[in-house]
Amino acid sequence: MNHLSKLPRFLLLGILAVLAGLPVYWMATTALSDESQLYMNRQVPWPQIGNLGSLLSAIAAVPAGRWMVNSLIIATGTTVVSLLLGSLAGYALSRFRFQGRGFIGFLLFMTQVVPEALILVPLYAMFITLGLLNDLAGLALANAAFSLPVATFIIKGAVDTIPHEIEESALIDNCPRFGILTMIVLPLIAPSLAAAAVIAFFAGWNEYLFASTFLMDRGLWPASVGLASFIGQYETPLSVVMGTALLFSLPAITFFLIIQRRIVAGLTSGAVKG
Amino acid sequence: MPELILDNLSKSFGDTTVIPSLSATIPDGEFLVLLGPSGCGKSTLLRMIAGLSDISSGELHFDGIRANGWSPKQRGVAFVFQSYALYPHMTVRGNISFPLIMDAFRPWHHLPGVNSFMRRRLMASPAISQRTEAIANQLELGALLERRPAGLSGGQRQRVALARALVRNPSLYLLDEPLSNLDAKLRMQMRAEISSLHHKVGKTFVYVTHDQVEAMTMATRIIILDRGVVQQIGAPDEIYAAPANTFVARFIGSPAMNLIPVTVNEGRLTVPPALTFFYEGPLPAAGPQILGIRPEKLQLLSEGNGPLPAQVAVVESLGAETVIGCRLLSGATEEHLLEHDLIFVRMPGVQRIPIGTRCGLGFAPGDVTWFDAATGQRRAS
Amino acid sequence: MSEQATTGLRRFGARALPHAFILPPIAYLCLFMFWPLARQMWMSLTDAKLATPNEGQFVGLANYARLVETPAFYASLKVTLVYATSAVVLGVTLGVISAFAINRPFRGRAVVRAVLLFGWAVPNVAAALIWLWMFNERSGVLNQILTGVGLSRLRWLTSIDWAMPSILMVTIWQVAPFVMLVVLAALQSVPDEVREAARVDGADPLNVFRAVTWPHILPAVQLAGLLVAVWSIRRFDIIYLLTGGGPLGSTSTLVVRIRQTAFEAHELGMASAYGAVGLVLALLIAAIHQLVDRRRARWMADR
Repeated sequence: MNHLSKLPRFLLLGILAVLAGLPVYWMATTALSDESQLYMNRQVPWPQIGNLGSLLSAIAAVPAGRWMVNSLIIATGTTVVSLLLGSLAGYALSRFRFQGRGFIGFLLFMTQVVPEALILVPLYAMFITLGLLNDLAGLALANAAFSLPVATFIIKGAVDTIPHEIEESALIDNCPRFGILTMIVLPLIAPSLAAAAVIAFFAGWNEYLFASTFLMDRGLWPASVGLASFIGQYETPLSVVMGTALLFSLPAITFFLIIQRRIVAGLTSGAVKG
Repeated sequence: MPELILDNLSKSFGDTTVIPSLSATIPDGEFLVLLGPSGCGKSTLLRMIAGLSDISSGELHFDGIRANGWSPKQRGVAFVFQSYALYPHMTVRGNISFPLIMDAFRPWHHLPGVNSFMRRRLMASPAISQRTEAIANQLELGALLERRPAGLSGGQRQRVALARALVRNPSLYLLDEPLSNLDAKLRMQMRAEISSLHHKVGKTFVYVTHDQVEAMTMATRIIILDRGVVQQIGAPDEIYAAPANTFVARFIGSPAMNLIPVTVNEGRLTVPPALTFFYEGPLPAAGPQILGIRPEKLQLLSEGNGPLPAQVAVVESLGAETVIGCRLLSGATEEHLLEHDLIFVRMPGVQRIPIGTRCGLGFAPGDVTWFDAATGQRRAS
Repeated sequence: MSEQATTGLRRFGARALPHAFILPPIAYLCLFMFWPLARQMWMSLTDAKLATPNEGQFVGLANYARLVETPAFYASLKVTLVYATSAVVLGVTLGVISAFAINRPFRGRAVVRAVLLFGWAVPNVAAALIWLWMFNERSGVLNQILTGVGLSRLRWLTSIDWAMPSILMVTIWQVAPFVMLVVLAALQSVPDEVREAARVDGADPLNVFRAVTWPHILPAVQLAGLLVAVWSIRRFDIIYLLTGGGPLGSTSTLVVRIRQTAFEAHELGMASAYGAVGLVLALLIAAIHQLVDRRRARWMADR
């Protein structure tokens, strides 16, 4: 396939791009349509920018802003916890030789296999006891359990690439291990930290199951739960629903647009190392 | 300022023993060179002295006190790595002042966020910045203080590593092949700088290298190692004049000492299989021995003269001197060739001698060093 | 403190240090993942109900026995396997094709690549919303296209025949970009010299592909396949939001059944049993992958 001449390749790419982009395009189109057109089986197949103003004010009426803020809080919390604990674990797995190293690696892998639905109920029961129910912080803690191992894996891979001598030099210079981690290692693996942060952030941003189960207050709803509440009800106009959905998707889409090159690079270095 | 005592030091990694048992006493102010081929354990030994590697067994004493469990900080050592190990994300100033800053840090200063704030503050403090600049100027790095290591040449990085070592005023300097990443000319220059540094500072330097030229020019004492075992300890002159065994004889000196296996039969020596000549100097016991003679002690004579008939095989003209490699005409066929079968002769100036010329090699008996053929040990005769 | 004591303390500190680093993360994981998991496994051996999660009686393997006799269980097992396998095969194929298609540089490549990533970037809930609208029987764009070319409308999410394929469509839309990224990374690390050497040796493009490129990206493809398989077993949000497990359980994977059994039938013990089966299945797949990986590594070393 590498050696396909240009035309078939571009044709293929065109088809793929249409298939991949259609849903998002349609989201935008639907958001910027007149409500009356949508149900007559004659939806206008392009976004009508003229509707933008009314769309934005309608979104403001729906508590979309509040939802986004909640999503932001949860996502940030997930990221912070994942990075903090992931740095400790990733550094330890890279630099220290201790018993149970392999077992811990297995445990971390296990977390990627467990379905969230499986621990939903016991976590719910536990949160009641700990008083973490109906609490955005509790959600962040629950989410981070799934992103922490990924962060650990990424950070460990990055720390592996730092030459031992730099750390030994710091030891000679009277820097304690923890100081080596914070002052020498972490600054040097900043790109990998960013990658881990992104993964954790979006895991928290997109999360639905725990959020819908653990939060009682409508005021605490993140956007994922808020949007899901639109399903099956007809009060809110579809265009507003789509507009909010698009807003909810926008951070991820723009982010991926900007840094996709780095993702490939980051995955390459990991893949080559194994 | 420690007198270093290494007492039966040994190092094993799992089942592999790298250093079986090593003992030595290093007085204060020495420039000690650990010399040997790759894998001989010299770097391992250095790291044990530094506190970077654990000592498997044996005792290490600093000024009479057992120091096996001491941290590098407690030992007061500075370490210069082969790759310099500069902190890539810090400026030259940051690198040099790092040890001083670490000495001033409290444990809780290491928290993320707090650490960069404290680091910046300490770097700007008068005490630290003055000392940093003083050391930097001493090594001609003053103009480079705000650069990152990536923007420095090899020699400059080398000097930053030295500055970082100097700034802590340690009692012991440990250097692990610091010059091997530099080109030949720079290496010569840095050799002189390191020697003068040692002279100025007056502390003990322990220097690891595989390059015998560095050892010979810089050391006050050399420990030669092969596969973890000490071959000889001594001053450069002693080692050159009286190598303890064939390994040392061939390691020191360039080109290496010529080692000729001979069979001794009273006054007659036979180079197997068929070259026999008379010899008037002191002789070791009868039987197979090894005759050692340095290239500069051999004379190239015209054909028919001298005890050893030979044929020129290689001529290396270095301008100030010429090194000529000859093959002894001992009747040897392919199977009887000597180990490193060429005999090297050093002659001053430019010598135009065609390859294949027959000649004779002469030497004075007083210049000969005898080695036991079985053990390789030098024989006092 | 005496010299001895400080050295002794230091030695202890040095040995304890790795544990100090690794303890907080592991403790955290135990609290928020492994302990709940263990509780859940235990719950599968009780008859706990949703209202009183902590008061179930121990019933041994009774839940599992009931499970084996419930047709719904086999149905959901089959649905899970069909779903996972199809997702892997189709998702990986599409991802690999995309990777190859986008591998050569051209003007605007970054934009096209970004568009191809949309499926992975869009959050589950938003994806559910838009696909629900696109699948809408009366007014959705997919049926508009079908009627436009003269075909009849499909009941995408509401007919037994089309619900699973619809879910698969969405899944593949979400998953193929990830596969593409992973395979692309491997593709771009194929050393050019090896490929060119093969060409110089007279190999035609197909052979170059077979001998050089494919073995090189195979680990990446396998890894991607493994991840897609495991994710498919775990996937809840999108299925639940699109079909709720219907119609008639045709899209009820094991994980969806957990939700239904726990929150609709209020049978926590049974729900946990479902979950246990799902977990075992996922672990099995991971184990198989490990085995295949190790065997391949040995085979490569022997060549």
